[in-house]
Amino acid sequence: MSHITFANVEVTYPGGLKALKGVDLEIPQGQFVVIVGLSGAGKSTLIRTVNSLVVPSAGDVRIGDRSVTRARGGELRRLRSDIGMIFQTFNLVKRSSVLRNVLAGRLGAVQPLRGVLGLFPKADVAFAHECLRRVGIPEKAFARADALSGGQQQRVGIARALAQRPSVMLADEPVASLDPPTSHAVMRDLKRIAREDGITTIVNLHFIDMAREYADRIVGMRDGLIVFDGTADDATDQVFEDIYGRPIDEDRDIRGRT
Amino acid sequence: MAVPDRGVVQGPPARPVTATRFLNWGTWGAIAVLFAVSVQQTGFNLEVVGQGMGDFLRFFGRLAPDWRALPQIWGPLVETLQIAWLGTVFGTILGLPLIFLASFNTTINPPVMFVARSILTVMRSIPDLLYAAILAPILMIGPLPGVAALTLFTMAVLAKLASEAVESIDPGPLEALRAAGAGRNRMIVFAVLPQIGATLTSFILYVFEINVRASVIIGLVGAGGIGNLINRYLSFFDYSGLGTLLIVVFGVVLAIDQLSVWLRSRLI
Amino acid sequence: MSIKRPADTIPATPPSVRRGNVFIGGAALLVLALTIFFLVTLDPLPTWARLQSGFERSGLPLLRGFVNPNWDVFPLARNAMIETVFMAVIGTTIGAVLAFPMAFLAANNLLGSRLLAFPGKTFLVGIRTFPEILFAIILVAATGPGPIAGILAMGINSVGFLGKVFSDVVEGIDAGPSEAIRAAGGNGLHVFFYSVVPQVLPEFASYVLYRFEINLRAASVLGLVGAGGIGAVLIQRLQFRRWTEISMIMIVIVVVIIVVDTLSSRVRRRLV
Repeated sequence: MSHITFANVEVTYPGGLKALKGVDLEIPQGQFVVIVGLSGAGKSTLIRTVNSLVVPSAGDVRIGDRSVTRARGGELRRLRSDIGMIFQTFNLVKRSSVLRNVLAGRLGAVQPLRGVLGLFPKADVAFAHECLRRVGIPEKAFARADALSGGQQQRVGIARALAQRPSVMLADEPVASLDPPTSHAVMRDLKRIAREDGITTIVNLHFIDMAREYADRIVGMRDGLIVFDGTADDATDQVFEDIYGRPIDEDRDIRGRT
Repeated sequence: MAVPDRGVVQGPPARPVTATRFLNWGTWGAIAVLFAVSVQQTGFNLEVVGQGMGDFLRFFGRLAPDWRALPQIWGPLVETLQIAWLGTVFGTILGLPLIFLASFNTTINPPVMFVARSILTVMRSIPDLLYAAILAPILMIGPLPGVAALTLFTMAVLAKLASEAVESIDPGPLEALRAAGAGRNRMIVFAVLPQIGATLTSFILYVFEINVRASVIIGLVGAGGIGNLINRYLSFFDYSGLGTLLIVVFGVVLAIDQLSVWLRSRLI
Repeated sequence: MSIKRPADTIPATPPSVRRGNVFIGGAALLVLALTIFFLVTLDPLPTWARLQSGFERSGLPLLRGFVNPNWDVFPLARNAMIETVFMAVIGTTIGAVLAFPMAFLAANNLLGSRLLAFPGKTFLVGIRTFPEILFAIILVAATGPGPIAGILAMGINSVGFLGKVFSDVVEGIDAGPSEAIRAAGGNGLHVFFYSVVPQVLPEFASYVLYRFEINLRAASVLGLVGAGGIGAVLIQRLQFRRWTEISMIMIVIVVVIIVVDTLSSRVRRRLV
């Protein structure tokens, strides 16, 4: 049975822009899926329908047998707390400590008032430290987030997502703000953790070489539609040229070679 | 959706006591103590506040406007705006040299900069109404002390704001001109003014907004403008006249503010 | 060495540039005309003789006072200045406490629409339109003279200022962390306490300190209209033209304000 199911998902933004034009996709438990495509192809929109940060105007997104799209209020928050998310710009509160940023991942799980007051149970605090250990920066727990390098900040982002004990992980261009060596280190961490915990993961990537290296499965998007769906081996240069709509040698940027 | 709980959880490391944390708590503590002492020393308490605000609101009821007072108000109102305008213009003219003397990248030499900055610091620490109160007996009752007070006030505020802008300009053009053999004045005209022109104009408008408010009140200490009339209404208990005056002032200040804000938004 | 160039190789000034020049020239002319008009209609302009006598009777004694201030009045001035600082502390605190909720009620992004923020914004503009001294004289007339009137006047005015700058800060925050909290299953309160508050608090603190600098200046002159503080001591001396005492009081005011300004701007630089 598939873990994440997109059923004919359409998104029309206020103002009339059709970002998704009917997407059908089934992702089994534990798969590491990379979505590629030009900016504006609908990758970010697709990933945000999984936790309803963008609500589809038609169709349905389900996790297991529960519809995220139909969920509201407390039910939606419970579903979201099962879905970790990592962002291109990290989205940390820069002036808060690393630990507090990671604990924010526990907010969906603790009693609302305790969360507001910052009175996390000891076990949650200990788990937050454990998450930082897993991404390799346990010593940074009490540093301010803005004192960290870009790669470290993204690791805090991953730790925050891990703190949710998620079964699904979404990553929206997680390495686009990082330099190539750091990008690979962060992608390796992400892949390793996803494998160890059996987390179903969807990653948006701009770089095709990186997609080939890390993906169990590559999904190509263009103009709000899925135009390719296959393994890394199936994704030849010809396939990528079709997805991007131009020869890849012209634009070294999308190869992402270091 | 069972996620394996990674069992080996060691206790979290203790939060280190850093100098910053210590300083933070110290600061909050100092603020709390300062507030407590202030409350105790000024006899401030919620009862007094409640009473004060009650009196204040009741008093507002007595300010019912009487539009027959309008003809009395126009003259002083125009004088108020005159004072604000002239103070801003003269303050800008006299303040311009100080701006450049007080900025590290356009000053003549460090001692000159130090002197210019010290003068500005002292001038800036004197409130507008204090200038007016001191100058009124020296320059005689009337609009002149008001203009002089706002001129000094404008110089200080404008030079402070603008010299920060001058110091943050792109040094490239300055270097290019210096390389081409330009002198200090030429560098200011060709490299600095084009870069800060819009910002400077915006600051001047901003100071004008402040000066309009100031020119309303400096008459309270005899420095001309509508403040004189406020004093007179108060001493004759003519509260309906005062109410009319306040509404007119409110409208005029608001209109000038909006115009100035609009102009400033077009500038930058 | 001269560069020879025939006149016809100079391109014509494009109309957009010409319009800009005309606009700037027109604005300059308008400013000049208004200035001259205001200058000649200034009434009454004191005669030179009166200015001279004013300077001799008041200006010179004041200047002499700065060189040789009257220390007898120092204890009185010092105590009055301390009271002034206390007034500014309370006035600023009132303003900050009341402005905190106001800021969120006047922020477009937090309320989700301009329309909802409009009443809050209008209220703040209304307060800011009046200078605090005007509030002070009304309060003095309504409740009687004393520091409480001055404190309340500063408090009211500070709400207008701080509410405005606070709501600007709130409108300028990064939406990313809020999205992250929502994505992790947090509710509105979580977004507020984990994303909004930590982002805005240092800037809030910085503006409160800045407002304290402004309020200290205001508190120094509130006494001129009967609202307590060192201004009350000053206005008595001014009425009797005791210039050496006036200069002593002014020195106390200036020194305290400069010290507080310096400390405050140090702390503000560390904050943001």
